[in-house]
Amino acid sequence: MDFLFTISLRNLFRQRRRSILLGTAIMFGTAILVLANAFAHGISEVLFNEIVSYVAGHVSVSFTKGGNANNQIFHDGDRIRAIIKERVPSVKRVDEAIGVFARAIGNGKADNVVMVGMDPSGEGVDEKEMEKYAKAFTFINGSFDNLGDSTIENPVGLSVEKAKALNVKYGDVMRVRYTDIHGQTQAARLTVATIYKPSNVFMSVPIFFHVKTVRRLLGYGPHDVPQLYLIIDNPKRDAKRFADSLHAGLKPPLAVIDGDLSFRSETIATTLLCLRTDSASLACADSGLRLISQTANDSANRKKSVIVSSAFAAATGMKPGDTCSVAFEGKFDSSRATVRLIVTAIADTGAGIDGNVVLVNEKDFYKAFYDTWPKSTAAGTGPFRPDTTNGIYKALGGEWLLVPRSSTTKDMMKLYREIAQKGWRAIVVDVGSMYETASMVLNLEYALNLITFICVMLLFFIILIGVINTLRMTIRERTREIGTVRAIGMQRVDVRNSFLIETGLLALISAVVGTIVAFAAMWGLSRLTFKAGENPLGMLLVDGHLFFAPTAGAIVFFVVLIVGIAVVTAYFPARRAAKLSAADALRHFE
Amino acid sequence: MNIIEIRNLKKNYALGKTTVYALRGIDLAIEKGDLISIVGPSGSGKTTLLNVIGCIDNATEGSVKVSDREITKLNDRQITDMRLHHIGFIFQTFNLIPVLNALENVEFPLLLMKKQSKNEIRKRAEKLIDEVGLRDYLKHRPAELSGGQRQRVAIARALVTNPDIVLADEPTANLDSVTGEQILNLMKDMNRIEQTTFIFSTHDANVLKYANSVVKIRDGLIVKEA
Ligand SMILES: Nc1ncnc2c1ncn2[C@@H]1O[C@H](COP(=O)(O)OP(=O)(O)O)[C@@H](O)[C@H]1O
Ligand SMILES: [Mg+2]
Repeated sequence: MDFLFTISLRNLFRQRRRSILLGTAIMFGTAILVLANAFAHGISEVLFNEIVSYVAGHVSVSFTKGGNANNQIFHDGDRIRAIIKERVPSVKRVDEAIGVFARAIGNGKADNVVMVGMDPSGEGVDEKEMEKYAKAFTFINGSFDNLGDSTIENPVGLSVEKAKALNVKYGDVMRVRYTDIHGQTQAARLTVATIYKPSNVFMSVPIFFHVKTVRRLLGYGPHDVPQLYLIIDNPKRDAKRFADSLHAGLKPPLAVIDGDLSFRSETIATTLLCLRTDSASLACADSGLRLISQTANDSANRKKSVIVSSAFAAATGMKPGDTCSVAFEGKFDSSRATVRLIVTAIADTGAGIDGNVVLVNEKDFYKAFYDTWPKSTAAGTGPFRPDTTNGIYKALGGEWLLVPRSSTTKDMMKLYREIAQKGWRAIVVDVGSMYETASMVLNLEYALNLITFICVMLLFFIILIGVINTLRMTIRERTREIGTVRAIGMQRVDVRNSFLIETGLLALISAVVGTIVAFAAMWGLSRLTFKAGENPLGMLLVDGHLFFAPTAGAIVFFVVLIVGIAVVTAYFPARRAAKLSAADALRHFE
Repeated sequence: MNIIEIRNLKKNYALGKTTVYALRGIDLAIEKGDLISIVGPSGSGKTTLLNVIGCIDNATEGSVKVSDREITKLNDRQITDMRLHHIGFIFQTFNLIPVLNALENVEFPLLLMKKQSKNEIRKRAEKLIDEVGLRDYLKHRPAELSGGQRQRVAIARALVTNPDIVLADEPTANLDSVTGEQILNLMKDMNRIEQTTFIFSTHDANVLKYANSVVKIRDGLIVKEA
């Protein structure tokens, strides 16, 4: 077998011009392929590791309160974190994603900024991540360590560009104006605690705080969480799957406030349920309930409905228009909260409403519920709980509102517009993976992969045409030689194989040389410095340089693919050569 | 003992719509160790006859026994093996493999046989090259050799496997007369030393004196056996 190899190799160098021609074509094709792939992969690395994980997380959970997309808060953070742990046990890190637009005022200069919380020393930040931080930022003054320094007043980190735009220096005090999560306009004094040069222009926009600072500035309570970004190990493989699983785990339970209702001098254990007041829910409630009496206001405006059962009304003597108050215990706070309710209607007991239940319109209900998260009473220990068979179940609100998973950024935007329009009072919980939240960014990667694919196709045709042509000529020239070796006693398969080996060797050598050329090109290209300025494509640069991330796996795959295509293409002409009759081949003169 | 027995051998070629009757009923028996010449004018069927005997072309009709094997009934793999193990070829145009040097060309059939170790193959090839007088040209490629030297390499290659029969189709036609005579002398010597049956064809009456016996062929038929 090895002498077949020797002969094939020597034959390859025989028709030097022809081999060099085809070899060069394959070499260039391979070089472009490896280059395109390394570039696409490099961009994908930048996108996934540098950008997407910062702007969207691999999986994100967002909470929209009051229909305001900027009001990202959920009041029972521990519960959400527990669900994340349960549904995505392998999560590397859960980042609190706070990003708020603000106006910063420096020394005689002002600029728009985004206040962003970070915690580089937080749980789940491993060495690799630290390295990445180190590579992403070159510190001019101080470091991110200063952001956690409690002796400094509101320490903030700025990029060189921002510091220049605001005319501030390291140690200077600046001011910032922003809207907190309660919708109040606030102002704060900040101390410039570090100035850095980010490797990616994308990173020069935000001003960085320690997450605890920005939480305090924005008014998050100790149990509140902002939007959460999940960082996972293998986002490409798992992001969607984990988002789906987390979504399933975030189905909200029915919202219930168990408390004590006081009317006149009586106090009665009562359960408050949330009556959703969108038209579909109201229609459901109306078909399930038989209203006995109702205030004039209520029939005109159902958004204020507070409905009690006829049995409860009879026991307490409540009539429409009466005011009562309900006191209940908070989950996090030992003090009790009180909510005042004006009864607007009485419904017949049994049809959808039973026992000591008050149906409270969602506006009043959620105000009470979110202001003081109620202590939950174990189910089945007395208080009334409607089950899914209840006629008005669909009209009852949950502790939050989970929206269906959207599949693209466009769908998601539409959903958010809808949320703003519908005026839902429940906190809207949305689970997204980077494929929806950052689908536009990721489309870029698809485009680049398409280029790689086109390279493969092009290469495929180069090889196809080149190999077939070359072999046809070679076989014609060597017909008498084929006859000779056949006469001497070489089997057909060996004749065929010697041509396959020859072609395979040519493809292999060319592909390897092409890979080397590609590496040389990458080395050269990545030494060029680009000034991207404000161009958004600048975010694809690392430190102003093109970034290539070739992978051994892809290169081996390409080389094998190219050799494979060449050998498969060579198979048919080679077999035809092997089938030549020895006598005819020997008579062949050219 | 006959190494070749041919009975009523016919060979037709289809040439467009016509049929060329190249061999029209050959009966021939050749003894082991003989040195035979097949003589006839150009187009008389010499090459066709040698090709059929050499198992590189199949008969249209009749029976051909080589080394007691009926070769008309073998499939391609078997007949290729038959050529490799029992037959050696010497061509008019030498037909050496251009990318191999003299020694490698001689080793080539033994490498195909895969019977001996690399060392044994090398020794055997060197011995043959020595016998044909090319000891100083082991590493020369065919292009670096003269016609006579090439044909000597071809003779060594044909004999290296110890074949039953060596077939030489007009081996001297491309050589000047002096070199041609040297080659024929060499074949005669090798026939004596190696005890191998030699059959060579020629259209040149001058070379007949080298043969032990002569078969005359004309228009696909044997004219006279002497
Ligand atoms: N492949 C072929 N197709 C058609 N005719 C052929 C072929 N080979 C040989 N012939 C014919 O067969 C006859 C015998 O040819 P050949 O055996 O080559 O004669 P020689 O070797 O004695 O010159 C000639 O007429 C020749 O034209
Ligand atoms: Mg002839």
